[in-house]
Amino acid sequence: MKLGSLLLAATAFAAAQNLPDVLKQGEAVFSKSCATGYCHGARGTNGGAPRLAGRGFDQAFIANTVQQGIPSTAMPAFGATLSRADLTAVVAYVASLNGVTNPVITVSGAPPGPSIARLTGDAARGRNLFSDSVRSFGRCSTCHEIGGIGIPVATPIGKVPADTAALKALSTPQVSTVTLGGESMPALIVSKKANTVVFYDLTSAPPVLRTESPSSVQTGEGSTWRHSSVIGSYNEAELSAILSYLRAVVKP
Amino acid sequence: MRIPALLFLALLPLSAQDAGVTRADWPHYGGTQFSWRYSALDQINTSNVKNLLPAWIFQTGDYTEYLGSTPIVADGVMYLISASARVFALDAAKGTVIWQYRYPTPRAGIAGSHSDFIQNRGVAVSDGKVIFGTRDNFLVALDQKTGKELWKVSVDDPKQCGCNNLAAPLIVKDKVIVGGNGGDQAHRGYLTAFYTKTGRLAWRWYVVPGPGEKGNETWKGDSWRYGGGAPWLTGSFDPDLNLVYWGTGNAAADFYDTDRVTAGASKTRDVNLYTASVVALDADTGKLRWHFQEVPDDQWDYDSSYEVLLMDRQIKGQMRKILVHMNKSGLTFVLDRATGEFISSFNVPELSNWISGVTEDGKLVGRNEPEMGKTKNFCPSTAGAKSWNSTAYSPRTGFLYVPAMELCMDITPNDTKATEGRFYMNGDFPTRLPPNRSTYSHVDAWDPITGKKIWSVPYKYVLLASMLATGGDLVFTGDPEGNFFALDARTGDKLWSFQTGAGHRGASISYSVNGRQYIAVTTGFQQTVVGSAVIGLFPEESFRAGSTLVVFALPEASR
Repeated sequence: MKLGSLLLAATAFAAAQNLPDVLKQGEAVFSKSCATGYCHGARGTNGGAPRLAGRGFDQAFIANTVQQGIPSTAMPAFGATLSRADLTAVVAYVASLNGVTNPVITVSGAPPGPSIARLTGDAARGRNLFSDSVRSFGRCSTCHEIGGIGIPVATPIGKVPADTAALKALSTPQVSTVTLGGESMPALIVSKKANTVVFYDLTSAPPVLRTESPSSVQTGEGSTWRHSSVIGSYNEAELSAILSYLRAVVKP
Repeated sequence: MRIPALLFLALLPLSAQDAGVTRADWPHYGGTQFSWRYSALDQINTSNVKNLLPAWIFQTGDYTEYLGSTPIVADGVMYLISASARVFALDAAKGTVIWQYRYPTPRAGIAGSHSDFIQNRGVAVSDGKVIFGTRDNFLVALDQKTGKELWKVSVDDPKQCGCNNLAAPLIVKDKVIVGGNGGDQAHRGYLTAFYTKTGRLAWRWYVVPGPGEKGNETWKGDSWRYGGGAPWLTGSFDPDLNLVYWGTGNAAADFYDTDRVTAGASKTRDVNLYTASVVALDADTGKLRWHFQEVPDDQWDYDSSYEVLLMDRQIKGQMRKILVHMNKSGLTFVLDRATGEFISSFNVPELSNWISGVTEDGKLVGRNEPEMGKTKNFCPSTAGAKSWNSTAYSPRTGFLYVPAMELCMDITPNDTKATEGRFYMNGDFPTRLPPNRSTYSHVDAWDPITGKKIWSVPYKYVLLASMLATGGDLVFTGDPEGNFFALDARTGDKLWSFQTGAGHRGASISYSVNGRQYIAVTTGFQQTVVGSAVIGLFPEESFRAGSTLVVFALPEASR
């Protein structure tokens, strides 16, 4: 599930219903995603990329270009990275720069999902802790991806531990032991084929995806690796907040 | 006084000489870890360069953008990476493909962040591996013999940080060190070292110190969290001092400092550490040994992330271990590389209005800053008095060769608040052509010790490719119109030129195989970022994209 964009959409839905609001939202999206210095510049007039204001573009052309991008150029396809509401708003805004006085502002597409913006208290705090960049590689998102944030080393979280004690005691039967060149290491095997063994080396964070020939590695069941050893940057209250976040967003 | 070259060579200790020059191989991004981009090869020289002809041409087939990487050559094999990370091992004498590797197209990151820009500045080769960064911010190691992937590690999450690493990694003994893009987003820059053998983390050093660390007090409130400083190019290494040198990026937000600098704070030195600085780190631990901040409270995007040239030179009768470092503003600093002590500075561009000068102890005076609610014109532009393409240094002439630009910009600041990973420059900064000029760049030769410009060759448009200096007393670079040319290193006289068919935004190198010297140049002009800004300035021209390597040598009969 593309949680991130749905959640963004949810916020946008609440905020934007009339044209001035939509255009304001569109301008905000534009300034963060399109006006970025090396691209179109403020109001689509001042950047390195082609000028967008006063070009006589119609809304359908703008919508198509924004969603699909332009192949073989730096113009990306925003269809996958912006929410429906943000897409609609930014297209309407660029249309307004091209003299379209009454752009379509109806948001089509999926209805809003559960809102991260609506997360409050511990769950909201837990969301920030989960991917807290101040913790560098000591954060959950070094190995777990939720809502498009994080590196999907581990399989998606399907079951949330009941409490912090359970989180620390988490059993990780998938983690095995790989021996390579006389060194044993905790490993998460990704694939074993005739020519290659691909595994994450969990010796230290961040995990390293390694590709070796089957003849050079030995794999063994089980490992001394423990989940509790990689969550040490968080205290008890922080872990508890992270669990609140997981309970709010992980659907069994 | 011009010191005769022979006498000059005699004065140089052998170690620095060896550490700075390349011969048959081109082992590192900057030639060697001293970053001179100087080849001692002299088969091609001022008297015969006119006979230079293409020996072979290689098209990468990756025409989405441009070819901006610096090739590596080791034992007759060239390692080349294209903009969207296709990696090739080529027979360096013939151009035939030994192996090729294609990095899968990554998922989109944050719109408008660096993940949208398709580029790569080079691979590093060491320990039997070819190592490079990716748009989705992994560091990948391939088997040097086969091109098969050996390890891959995530440097950071691009969907959160808006950052990635596309500069050539720096090899330092058993480690590979990478910085990262991201200074234009709300991001806190760092350098990260991994072991070449396993891909495991060795150390990470944050440019912006966290709470409790020295330097954090130079940041207002929580602004350190997204303080920028991303060191987005490639550093240098001195094995004798065991120090890694790197230039760091500007403070973020760029053009608006109210959220990061306490009102009324002195801006003489050490504001928003360690942004816009040259830093020296212990190569084994990543611990900071010294710093020199070049642009305290950088409000012009004059970040200091450019190459750091290490050399030993006579200064006032004493042999000194120095470094020479130019930042985007064109201000070039000469520092003692053991201590970070300021020795001297000189200013490369003709147009410069952001400060009135530099004191004898290296402090900026007469700051002319952007102002909220106003649009002000500044020179140079954010494209720099030089862009990220490198200078070169010849130990034979003692000169630094600089592709300098004369561009300005209009800065209009805004006070947008930081959102992690999102664009955070806080201003509009369109590039402007300065009035009353007919040329907008020049290749210069500078004596870094006296700070004197020795010669200067003007060019109509802007030069955006790296320099190469050789033992044949030649200096090579290319222009956006497609000309690749050689100048006399002592006089600047143009001795040879060849139309390669696409603009130059990459680098040239020299190497030899079986006694034959080659000059290789990447061609294909950048269509985004600085490239697009430049294209917009000269609408009458088309600075063509492409992705082709052209390799020159003297005809067999004439050498």
